[in-house]
Amino acid sequence: MTTTMTPKDFATATPSWWCPGCGDYGVLSALKAALAELGKQPKDVAFVSGIGCSGKISGYLHSYAFHGVHGRALPVATAVKLANRDLTVIAAGGDGDGYAIGAGHFLHAVRRNPKMAYVVMDNQTYGLTKGQSSPTSQTGYITGTSPQGNPDAPINGLAVALAAGGTFLARGFSANPKHLVGLMKEAVEHDGFAIVEVMSPCVTYNKINTYAWFKQNVYYLDDGYDATDRVRAFEALTAEGKIPLGVIYREQRPTLETLTHLGATPIVDLRLDPQLRELVAIQDAYA
Amino acid sequence: MSAVESRGAAAAGSDCVIVNDIEIMFGGQAGDGSLTTGDLIAGVFKRMGLEVYTYKDFPSRIRGGHTNYVIRAGEHANYGTADFVDGLIAFDVEAVETHVHELRPGGFVVFDSSSETLPDGVKRDDITWYLVPIGKIAKEEIGLELVRNTVSLGVLARLIGMDPAIVRADVAKVYGRKGERVVDLNLRAIEAGETYVDQHFAEWPSGYGLQGRPDVDRLIMMGNDAIGYGALAAGCRFMAGYPITPATDVLEFMAKFLPRYGGVAIQAEDELAAINMVIGAAFTGVRSMTATSGPGQALMTEAIGLAGVLEIPIVVVECARTGPSTGMPTKTEQSNLNHLIFGGHGEIPKIVLAPGTVEDSFYLSAAAFDLAERYQCPVFVLTEQALCQSKATLPRLDLGRVSVDRGKLVTEPVVFGEYKRFAFTDDGVSPRVTPGLEGGMHLAAGSEHGEAGVITENPKNRARMMEKRMRKLESALAHVPPPLVHGDAKADVAIFGYGANRGPIVEAQRRLAAEGVPTRFLELRTLWPFPEEEVRAFVAGTRAVFVVENNYTGQLDRLVRYVVGPLERMHRVLKYDGRPFRPIEIVEPIRRAAPARGLAEV
Repeated sequence: MTTTMTPKDFATATPSWWCPGCGDYGVLSALKAALAELGKQPKDVAFVSGIGCSGKISGYLHSYAFHGVHGRALPVATAVKLANRDLTVIAAGGDGDGYAIGAGHFLHAVRRNPKMAYVVMDNQTYGLTKGQSSPTSQTGYITGTSPQGNPDAPINGLAVALAAGGTFLARGFSANPKHLVGLMKEAVEHDGFAIVEVMSPCVTYNKINTYAWFKQNVYYLDDGYDATDRVRAFEALTAEGKIPLGVIYREQRPTLETLTHLGATPIVDLRLDPQLRELVAIQDAYA
Repeated sequence: MSAVESRGAAAAGSDCVIVNDIEIMFGGQAGDGSLTTGDLIAGVFKRMGLEVYTYKDFPSRIRGGHTNYVIRAGEHANYGTADFVDGLIAFDVEAVETHVHELRPGGFVVFDSSSETLPDGVKRDDITWYLVPIGKIAKEEIGLELVRNTVSLGVLARLIGMDPAIVRADVAKVYGRKGERVVDLNLRAIEAGETYVDQHFAEWPSGYGLQGRPDVDRLIMMGNDAIGYGALAAGCRFMAGYPITPATDVLEFMAKFLPRYGGVAIQAEDELAAINMVIGAAFTGVRSMTATSGPGQALMTEAIGLAGVLEIPIVVVECARTGPSTGMPTKTEQSNLNHLIFGGHGEIPKIVLAPGTVEDSFYLSAAAFDLAERYQCPVFVLTEQALCQSKATLPRLDLGRVSVDRGKLVTEPVVFGEYKRFAFTDDGVSPRVTPGLEGGMHLAAGSEHGEAGVITENPKNRARMMEKRMRKLESALAHVPPPLVHGDAKADVAIFGYGANRGPIVEAQRRLAAEGVPTRFLELRTLWPFPEEEVRAFVAGTRAVFVVENNYTGQLDRLVRYVVGPLERMHRVLKYDGRPFRPIEIVEPIRRAAPARGLAEV
């Protein structure tokens, strides 16, 4: 790149609606830093978010941002990529958006493997509706909608994604932005569907999974870890005890763009001409 | 046409009641190949220079269950079935029992007597019965029971005087891709059917005549293919959909053709994904569509509101079927009009188009994309099973009539900070940028937003933004496809209708006129924004008004009443049994409520 980008180039003038201390601030700054370090231009970034506290992030990243309906960020983002493959496409949302109302799309985006990054901001609660249990809340978590304790087992999003054919699975912690920037950069560069799950504490409603709790319950995968070993990845994701951070799994397989036989010219740049000879000739088969 | 002329009553002889208007029904079990044979018959009629309409009445299962395929041929382009069936080809007793009452007195039944015997009770004595061991002939003479449909075609062709050369040419064409052996087997099957008739029957079906006319260069096309073709011609390059009867054909058409033009069709995991994909692709600047039916439409409703508030141009094809819930998936109905117009939380501008013929399906489908981009809103193409899965003959489609007007799409860089994606304008339409364009970065939010896209709950902004968006409907009103007037524009009996009912209404009009009841029919091709002025004007000076539609609650009727107020002379003509109107079902209520002037005074 001829110009040097800085995280500020990806800032908007919109004041944040997040609570002070929210984990999502760390996600936003890591994303800005990653895009700047990769030399991306705001005009070439399509940033699609869902609904919830996390979904507000699209308003704070200077880009072509899209804030749609609850749970549907991935279908929107997938189509944006297909329609204009030159764009850097990033989707972001919370644990509720991705693993509850949008869980179906999550599985199918993993299967399709479009080249895009998906950031899941996991705070293990529903923040914007004032603290109900989420699909990643611990069993027994007491909230207004689960006064006797959440009866459901938490979903393990990355393990589910691994089983569904995920090609890039990473986990970070919003209190370690430096580490997170690295993960985000790798995710954006990955040639396929790259998931970055970020432990992003809710300081207002989740009094269990706090910054202090995470600090005691996470560990970083070391250099000896082989992220191309699928069985090892499944062990790391499902083992009892501490939560692994880092790139947990990666592989290469053909992207959706390849398998739908997209040409090099983005669909959006195709010339439209109703009088194309071949187009007129389609009706010969009906004569 | 010697075969025709030599065939006694089958030709246009002295005892002919009707020349060149015939309706053939193929009835049997689903999955037995009757659809292919039905298509073949339709093709032969077309090549004989007649106008053809087909109607599929099949069960929501793949093998088994009663199915029938109606092929109507005539001099007029009748977009619908007739009052009666002239000839029934029945492969089982069930087909006879189900449909024998639909036969015209003087009509005929060809019954496959290979394995079943007709119970005495079903045998009407005012029709001619041809018992032919069709399956047995196929098995024993051709050595393949599978070709029994083709044997039946040979029988039918002989009985009604279809041009034998055309029959053979079409069989060779249809089976050509399966190889010479298959073509040969089927040609022999035709021959065997014809021979059986010659050897066993001396009497021919009576009461009508079939005369070939010079064939002109025309098409025979299904409504859904016309919709797909129109979209392709208009530059649609992205489709996402989820298989659902009776809309799946559109996705299949686009999946076949889009890649040839650089586009892509995606089978999504559900309708929620499909509509959100369409919105994503359209946000990026690609002309995009989906096609669905009632249940899928219900799932898409939330996201269609999003497209409305984000001012993203999308096209949604609704191939209506019988509801609610699963209803009767393969049967026709017009009960989704309210859903399209009023469905959804909140209020957005939207346009609802409804073609009345296969030809119009092409042109309105194409027009939908220009309207969507000009007014940056969702545009529905509303059709129904009785039209979208029916085939009809039509003139060649003129792609010169298809335009690509991208509205206020900005392609030159803009200045960030000055450019406002949702700028307040007189016509309500704001200049639209797409990702990748320098300076146009903004937030497209389903939350209420200001001109630049920033989320705000400011009451003044909210009111202005609502007004700006809804103003687009007013801007669109003069540019949407206008209604068509059929019949006698000065008649004092008025009819309203749309979609698949155009055919039976127009046919009913011809008959009513002959009885001394001239009528005028306003075919609505745009149902939203509702053409209030045209509707009001059309009601003026009438002695009776009829609203013809396929639903229980009179959804179109209520829209008309909303405009013209309560009128004692307004009548509903409703049908909601899943089947399209036969003309007599429109003729009778009109005749009853608005008899010919002379008769009323008797």
